[in-house]
Amino acid sequence: MMEKEIIDAFHEKPLDVPVIGITGGKGGVGKTTVAVNLVEAFIQRGYRVSLADADVDAPNAAMLFGIPLENPVDVTITQPLINEKCTKCGECVRACRMNALFQSKDGKPIILGDCNGCEACILVCPEEAIDRGKKAVGRTFRTDAGNVSLFTGELLPGEAESSFVVSAVKDRMFKESGGSDLIIVDTSPGTHCNVINALKGADIAYAVTEPTPLGVHDLELILTLLDIMELEASVVLNLSDLPGVKGEISRIAKAHNTDVPVKIPLDEALARSYAEGVPVVRKAPGAVSSKRITQMADTIEKRYLS
Amino acid sequence: MKEVVVLSGKGGVGKSSVAASLGTLLSKKRRMVLVDCDVDAPNLALIFGAKADTSLDVFSSEKAFIDYERCSECFTCVQTCRFHAIVEAEKPVVVPFYCEGCGACAIACPEDAIEIRPVANGKIDISKSNGTSIVTGALKIGESGSGNLVFKVRKEARKKAEENGVEMILIDGPPGIGCPVIASVSGTDYVIAVTEPTPAALNDLKRVLEVVKHFKIPAGVVINKAGLNDAVSKKIKDFARSAGLSILAEMPYDLSIPKSLVQARPVVEIYPDSEVSLEIKRLAEKFEGVLERI
Repeated sequence: MMEKEIIDAFHEKPLDVPVIGITGGKGGVGKTTVAVNLVEAFIQRGYRVSLADADVDAPNAAMLFGIPLENPVDVTITQPLINEKCTKCGECVRACRMNALFQSKDGKPIILGDCNGCEACILVCPEEAIDRGKKAVGRTFRTDAGNVSLFTGELLPGEAESSFVVSAVKDRMFKESGGSDLIIVDTSPGTHCNVINALKGADIAYAVTEPTPLGVHDLELILTLLDIMELEASVVLNLSDLPGVKGEISRIAKAHNTDVPVKIPLDEALARSYAEGVPVVRKAPGAVSSKRITQMADTIEKRYLS
Repeated sequence: MKEVVVLSGKGGVGKSSVAASLGTLLSKKRRMVLVDCDVDAPNLALIFGAKADTSLDVFSSEKAFIDYERCSECFTCVQTCRFHAIVEAEKPVVVPFYCEGCGACAIACPEDAIEIRPVANGKIDISKSNGTSIVTGALKIGESGSGNLVFKVRKEARKKAEENGVEMILIDGPPGIGCPVIASVSGTDYVIAVTEPTPAALNDLKRVLEVVKHFKIPAGVVINKAGLNDAVSKKIKDFARSAGLSILAEMPYDLSIPKSLVQARPVVEIYPDSEVSLEIKRLAEKFEGVLERI
């Protein structure tokens, strides 16, 4: 059980615009494909849509939409810089729970490990001997293409703290989406803090899965997370024509008081559009996969936009 | 003892399937331990249909706890926290999944009302399949601290390996490039980077290999679902060549993989003559040479 204050903060939304989350526990089940095609379906209907790709470890929405990354803004964290006032007392080294500070042989503290910019060292230093430096850990981007504004970000390779970049993407998206009719958020795989952060402020989350035992296992995890966060869940079964365990998927959805209203087969049109970076609902509107995603957009439109 | 890790950047390209089948084949010649470090969505044991014999709680995360008897509701902690992990409600409330346990709030609190305490954020399951141990890390749902959990999982695996005279540890890594990936790759001897011929997978492959390069660990590439798109396949090969990486295998798209998943057995065991199994066998043979070099 989460405290009510935490749940309330999670459901706070800076903008009065419907927010649809696309998530899924397991990687590679088609989260971004669903997100990008939903966006396409809505802009075809004349809506202005913001898409936030919050998978900053592996951001692929721009590529699947066939648009470039533009308007970069650095995401920085504090990097402690020891100045000449240091008396080598060692307080900062003892305060650093990340074990990122070490006392060198001559007594001066040096940064060796993965500093997460928490500033505990700065708070504890009795001599004001630590300055706030800045270190870039990633970047956010905004690309406008017709009626879609894509907000995304990337963690710089070698950096560990994805959460700062996810927060920065979400903040920028909410700040700059005043003119949008609808917001769609694509999360990373998993059930960790970055997924929760990405879904913060969402009205509903669609969990995308596939009919394999792995898809079943990870669907159970993500639906449990959505229950804990008291966020309404629905399920999209991708690769629905694979030989697999569709019954198990329905059973788990039902156990979490939801169902599987969207089933997307892997038709050739979808596979080809994916490789080419053109949404299938634009490239092959008559394909079964396109029709299923269009029907999903109908449901969302009826409920949130009329 | 050698540690080899399977990574990909993009999720769902076949890391666990490659790890399970390659592990099955390599374990015929040596004692091995298989490890699942995708602590957010651990799937390796599922491929073997293996159930955990033992399970250990892991305390690899620390969090702030506020003593409301002492708290004067000054909200200094809220201002101090760089991770937005304290909600300013009627009283300050710590959001456990954002809290990194850094202790900055405890230092800043004028009432000394905040304590940092270890919390159970995951577990390590140990199961067995055909005599090979599978060590699985699982993060609790909505928890943080995946990097530290991965370190503990790898430590447990090494302990298990030393007890049993194991020569090789094969790690199924997490997707992405962040904290748990860095924890999975650091100090290993070799990286098997699995990808598929799609632009997204290639993009993510390049990103994860930058992390690998940072740690100066040798790597080779496995192309899964080869034949899906010849143009992107060629791009992957060009990239590998320019980065000085060898292509270890080109696994064809083969329905025997999803079929084997449903039956909870590695594909090389249940469909040994399928095209994809034959290619994984060639991968295992090639990998014997890699093992001699590293």
